[in-house]
Amino acid sequence: MTSPLDDLIRAQKRQRAGALRLAILSAVTVGAASTLLLGLSGWFIVASAIAGGAGLAAAHAFNVLLPSAGIRLLAILRTAARYGERLSGHAAALRALAAIRPAVFQSLAAAPASESLTLSRGEASARLVQDVDAIETRFVRLSAPWNAAAGLGSGLAVTLLAGWIPTLIILAAAGLAMLSAQGLARRFSAPARAAIQARTGALKDSVAALVSASAELRAYGLADWAGETLNARATALDAARRDAARAQGFIVAAQAVIAGVTVAAAIACAAPAGPALAALAGLAAVMSLDALTSLANAFDQDGGARQARERLDAILRHRPRPALPIASSATPLRLLDNTLVAGDRLAITGPSGCGKTTAVETLLGLREAVSPAGREAFAWLPQDAGLVAGTVADNLRLASPKASDADLWAALEEACLADRIRAAPEGLATYVGDDGERLSGGERRRLALARAYLRDAPWLLLDEPTEGLDPATETQVVARLDARLKRTGQGLILVSHRSAPVAICPKVLRMDGKEKGPATKSPSLVPTP
Amino acid sequence: MIAPYTQPMGARIVQIDRQVQAKVWLKGFERNAASAIRRAGLLGLADGIAAIAFAAGLALSVDAIAQLRGLAAIAPWLIVAALALAARGALAMATGVIGAEAAARTKAALRISLARAVFAGPRRPAAEAATALVEGVEAMDGHVARFLPTRLAAGVLPLILIAAAAVASPIAAAIMLGTLIPFILAMILTGTAAATEARAQFQALERLSALFLDRVRALPVVLAFQAEGATTAALTRSASNLAERTIRVLRVAFLSSAALEFFAALSVALVAVYCGFNLLRLLPFPVPEQLDLKRAFFVLALAPEVYAPMRRLAAGYHDRQAAEAAAASLSTFEAPAPKAAHIPLKIAPSLRFAGVEIRYPDTDAPAVRGFDLVAPAGSVTALVGASGAGKSSILNALLGLAPITAGAVSINDNPFTDLSSDIAWAGQSPLILPASIADNIALSRRDATRAEIAEAAGRAGLGPALAVRPGGLDFMLDERGSGLSGGERRRLSLARALLKPAPILLLDEPTANLDAEAEAAMVDAIRAAAQGRTTLIATHSEAVAALADQVIRL
Repeated sequence: MTSPLDDLIRAQKRQRAGALRLAILSAVTVGAASTLLLGLSGWFIVASAIAGGAGLAAAHAFNVLLPSAGIRLLAILRTAARYGERLSGHAAALRALAAIRPAVFQSLAAAPASESLTLSRGEASARLVQDVDAIETRFVRLSAPWNAAAGLGSGLAVTLLAGWIPTLIILAAAGLAMLSAQGLARRFSAPARAAIQARTGALKDSVAALVSASAELRAYGLADWAGETLNARATALDAARRDAARAQGFIVAAQAVIAGVTVAAAIACAAPAGPALAALAGLAAVMSLDALTSLANAFDQDGGARQARERLDAILRHRPRPALPIASSATPLRLLDNTLVAGDRLAITGPSGCGKTTAVETLLGLREAVSPAGREAFAWLPQDAGLVAGTVADNLRLASPKASDADLWAALEEACLADRIRAAPEGLATYVGDDGERLSGGERRRLALARAYLRDAPWLLLDEPTEGLDPATETQVVARLDARLKRTGQGLILVSHRSAPVAICPKVLRMDGKEKGPATKSPSLVPTP
Repeated sequence: MIAPYTQPMGARIVQIDRQVQAKVWLKGFERNAASAIRRAGLLGLADGIAAIAFAAGLALSVDAIAQLRGLAAIAPWLIVAALALAARGALAMATGVIGAEAAARTKAALRISLARAVFAGPRRPAAEAATALVEGVEAMDGHVARFLPTRLAAGVLPLILIAAAAVASPIAAAIMLGTLIPFILAMILTGTAAATEARAQFQALERLSALFLDRVRALPVVLAFQAEGATTAALTRSASNLAERTIRVLRVAFLSSAALEFFAALSVALVAVYCGFNLLRLLPFPVPEQLDLKRAFFVLALAPEVYAPMRRLAAGYHDRQAAEAAAASLSTFEAPAPKAAHIPLKIAPSLRFAGVEIRYPDTDAPAVRGFDLVAPAGSVTALVGASGAGKSSILNALLGLAPITAGAVSINDNPFTDLSSDIAWAGQSPLILPASIADNIALSRRDATRAEIAEAAGRAGLGPALAVRPGGLDFMLDERGSGLSGGERRRLSLARALLKPAPILLLDEPTANLDAEAEAAMVDAIRAAAQGRTTLIATHSEAVAALADQVIRL
């Protein structure tokens, strides 16, 4: 079965083929140069010693220039190639992630509301931040096998000078090293790394529960208790981290033991070929196995990446749907047993918690498992204003990406916010902060109202538009709303418990306390499974 | 903790002060981890000894081959080399595990002090507190587990290895020592240049993550305005911009690590060439030593190891950067002020709010303005008003969870001090632990007897709920902290408040989301709980407001 993430990654690999090819070429150069450098140095020393020991004539006959130049050349080549490998590999990975992360967001937006809108902040950050980061290794380490192959290949090639047997020993050891790394990673690293991710999420949920119960913790003097409770929860996470460290240690130790035995065996078997070639074989064995380290590391890291892939696939299977154009005319609407025709104005009132907001959100398809058609008919002011972190213009253009500055000012004027924004030094470029925290409650609401005005939909859906406004401003906002409705012929569905906006609606629907929304969920110290 | 800086000195000075504060904080934190890190560092030194043994084993075995001695003479040295390499593997493993354990211990201590700051110190926004407690603490993991032990080893190991090389060839050792100095200079120069850029980069990455999370939070609006496409396009632009910027930073960062690698390789080459010429007796200048094969080979095998600890340190620098970035935020969490000798109130006090303004930091408008209230001792006051009118802020102010920016609160006509120990609190979403109902209630007074818990449960009206559950008070609340209905949770919260003999009772929306029947039953329990206490209730409910002695509309 093909996974959507693999498709995305494949597409990115195709697009970054040039950079990845450069990374691989550089990796091959690094692997070969590293092995040859140490092998050549070892051979040079031993051969020099033999020539030196044989007398001055032999020493002068010994060509020192070629090997010493070779050593310097290889040192420079290795440095340059390593730079090329790291830079092009990371550049390809970063550019690919910059494309993959928005794709995950897009699929999340296309998911049914019951799935996408119930995602907690912790889960969202786990998917969009950690999980996408985890697959970065799939790009950065793309060149690792090539590096390993080149290091091993050149190691084997130079060892051949010392004979078949040491060569075969190194080859067998390399196979054993890879198999053991893979086996150990699968057995120990993968579960530990998966546990780290899961337990970090659980710890986040516990922290969120405790922080939201700050008042209780303060009143009952439970600060120290809270710290101990968190530590009890974190024990599992830290145990997983220790397991991961131990798993990594197993892999490193196994590689080291194999390398130790191989070096000894290679030298012993190459001894008949003379000390220079024996030294070369020994050092080549060290470097060949050292070249496999980055591949062994990749096995170690893969456990986390595999889990991340499964979770991302679950989101990415939702394909983005093309957006329908905004409806040009209002079709009659049924809402809570009322039928509304174009231009109608309906106010819904009732005590808090009676389900007014739920009714509105259901109309917008923000409550159902399957997304209904109909969003194109509404311009919405949510109860919590729902501003995005960005500028005033960023927020307004969410409703109408192509609106001119003049359009934005007109909408702000109608929402009675133009004077406030004009007074700000940055004007439309004023940064409103996370969730509009730099604005007052009333200003947030009016900015969200202006945003709703910018969307040319047949129905305005306003949830508590005048909450937090002083009476004078409220009167003005309601008057301009009334004038706007008369001018545009838009219909209005208003949720409010205040009399001023309700007064401009001929139809009023009073909901009682019978239709309950779900009770507020208690913070719990245990994550939901 | 550093004394608070003076505000009017300008934002720049504040920023520098913060950096200093973060540095001081990180130093103090590192001191707490010092002993465990020293152990990991000692293992690092043992690794150096094993590296020397490996080089010696290799050199002596090659020398034995050169002297045409039999396998019996070669084998012991080969075994030394093999064992030394295996020992290095085992040491690396032990270092990793000890580092992880050290990190676990220091993080646990950090969590305790942070929890104290968050839950007893000055108020912090919830998101900041949660980020500090999870991401902030975890950012210290790699720092303690990996970076600090490496730093310790990098400081000592090169000198030990050079000393070992000096035994075989003082001049080769002098060459190593000589190249070490430009190596360290290059490391410092490129390190500081890259660090400044990397810090900016780190922040940019965090901002990008925050941007994605913000758009996920605002997803209902994005969907309702059918702005999925436009939002995705904007996110793609931001992500690509950041990627390009990161690549520019990496160009410099990798250049600096390439410089280190180049110096290391060049030094090794220098040692190799010196040894070669010395062996050939072709050196153009007189030297006081004549090397033989085993010495030369030993020095050559040791040379790369001299630079390895510092290269490992440079490679692990991102752990350090993550810790530095986290320290900038963690250092701003202040420990709670030592409690002034506070005499607990014996009987219900009178409360007076005069012209109180509550304004959260970084907001343009106060949440509460010009609030006046006189609550006589033992009275019940209902605060009613729309959501967002500041009811909860007033209750929170009494617990120090909301900043009083103007006006005054007085208790029994004395100025307001920390009242937490005199307050019992019940909210709309109480903290539920995966534990028995009794343990959940006893959270407000850990030393309460079983009889006291049972009495509080009974007075809060939990009787019928306990009767239908196996084990009654011992009934274990399940994984989701549920197993209780919404109304039963409020009662549990009320039972908690009743168990604590506090003369002030604060109730935040005690009946929100309850149906009329449950609400009526709850009102009776609230009336019972309020007896003999000065009670403030924030509520939407007219039924709850009806039981109050006075109703304040906000």
